[in-house]
Parts: sequence; structure tokens; C-alpha cells
Amino acid sequence: MQLARVVGTVVATVKSPGLEGVKLLIVQPLDRQGRPSGGTVVAADAVHMAGPGELVYIVAAREAAEAMPDPFVPVDHAIVGIVDAVTTTDPVVRSPEESTA
Amino acid sequence: MKLARVVGNVVSTINAPLFEDRTLLLCDLVDPAGAPAGGYMIAVDTVGAGPGETVLLIDEGSSARQILGLARGPVRTLVVGIVDDVTVAPGEGARGQGAPGQGAPSGAGRADGTAADGAAADPAASATSAARPASPRAAPRSGRGRRSPGRSASS
Repeated sequence: MQLARVVGTVVATVKSPGLEGVKLLIVQPLDRQGRPSGGTVVAADAVHMAGPGELVYIVAAREAAEAMPDPFVPVDHAIVGIVDAVTTTDPVVRSPEESTA
Repeated sequence: MKLARVVGNVVSTINAPLFEDRTLLLCDLVDPAGAPAGGYMIAVDTVGAGPGETVLLIDEGSSARQILGLARGPVRTLVVGIVDDVTVAPGEGARGQGAPGQGAPSGAGRADGTAADGAAADPAASATSAARPASPRAAPRSGRGRRSPGRSASS
């Protein structure tokens, strides 16, 4: 699982069966310091409460579909939690909220 | 499985049901010498690991669900062990890191690796200290890295 920031939404009317009602969000994966890491991806919102600007954690690959009500759907990234806080013992880095605030 | 060092916790109240009452650990991937290997993972704790400890991660969903006793669930990465010591076979230490592979025991190899790490091998640390003029704060980190090989060498 990786940290990510929700940066947008995707609306698609015509979708593969099983994806009806699934909210799709654009997320930017982050490194541990809260800096963008790689390109954005479209992730299914498995917690139904994530929105733009929020710090979340995502799961990738086959396990992403396991987050959906029907696990046999074409989903390869899913938001599985909204981050309240990241505590780190590392003195040389700041937590992602601090560095992006 | 992967070697990693626990560097913190992720706190989350709104999450998939699977994560209720489970601890999420922020883990930096490390090489056998204990130096950052690049990248990190958020892993579900199953062994009671805490910050500062070197751990074993499993990063495969079906194994992860089996360990948690779940038939389903969006989980892939678990902390499944706390590492006491890593020994690299003679000659293998030079691979993938700057440590000289002279058949030295892991403790000595790690001390070398840590020294190199403190100097330049940790891009995150050097980038951060370059960005923020708080270079003295980098000192405790390399100190901690050096202490851990000493402990394993004595064991």
C-alpha cells in the first residue's frame, strides 16, 4: 500500500459491467516524504468517502479489486483508507501532511 | 519477502473493514546491509513490530489473506517477522551496495555500509538536509543506523 493524494474525479457513463456505482478518483501516489512519485492513476474509491485534496492510502494490483463489493471487476487501484495522521520517527523527514500543507 | 525498516505509523479511521483494529506501519525498504533500498510500503502489522525495527514484509495478496485468516480483502503487504540479524555470504556483500565484500561478518559489513550511507548513499536524507539547513538533525539518524549493527554483531 502506498500513500496518495486525491487530485480529481473521473466520470464515465459507459463502463465495464460491475463498475456501476463505483466512484473513480484520480490520485497522485506520494513518496514517504509526501512528494509526488510517478504519474497519476485512476483509483476506485472503496471507502466511499474520499474526495479531492485528501491524503489516502491505496492498494494496487489484483488486491484492489478485492476492495470492491464484487471482487471480479476490472479495478487495479483502490483507495482503501483515508489517512488521519502519519507519525514517523525519522528525524530528517516530515510527515506527508506537514510537507504538503 | 522483503527487508524493511519500520519508520512510523499510519493512522486511519475511515478505511476498508479489514483494517479495523489493525496497525498500519510505514516501512522503508532496505538492503541486507540495512541501507535504504529506495521505496517504502504501508504494511499491516501481524507481529507487534515497532518503529526502528528491521522487519520482513510479505507483498503478495493471497499469502497475506491466508495469514490474516481472511477469504477476501484488499490487503497485500504484511509485516510477518522481526529481523534479528542478516548475514551476507562472503563476496556477496559487494553486490548492490558500496560495501567491500571481503568475507567480513555482517556486523562489519553493515558498519561500512552505514558509513557510506551517511555520506551519500541515502538520497532522501541528503536531499532533505540540502533543502532544509538542519544538517545536524541528520546525525541522530546515522547514529541509530550504526548502533543496530553493533547490537547484532554482539549477539
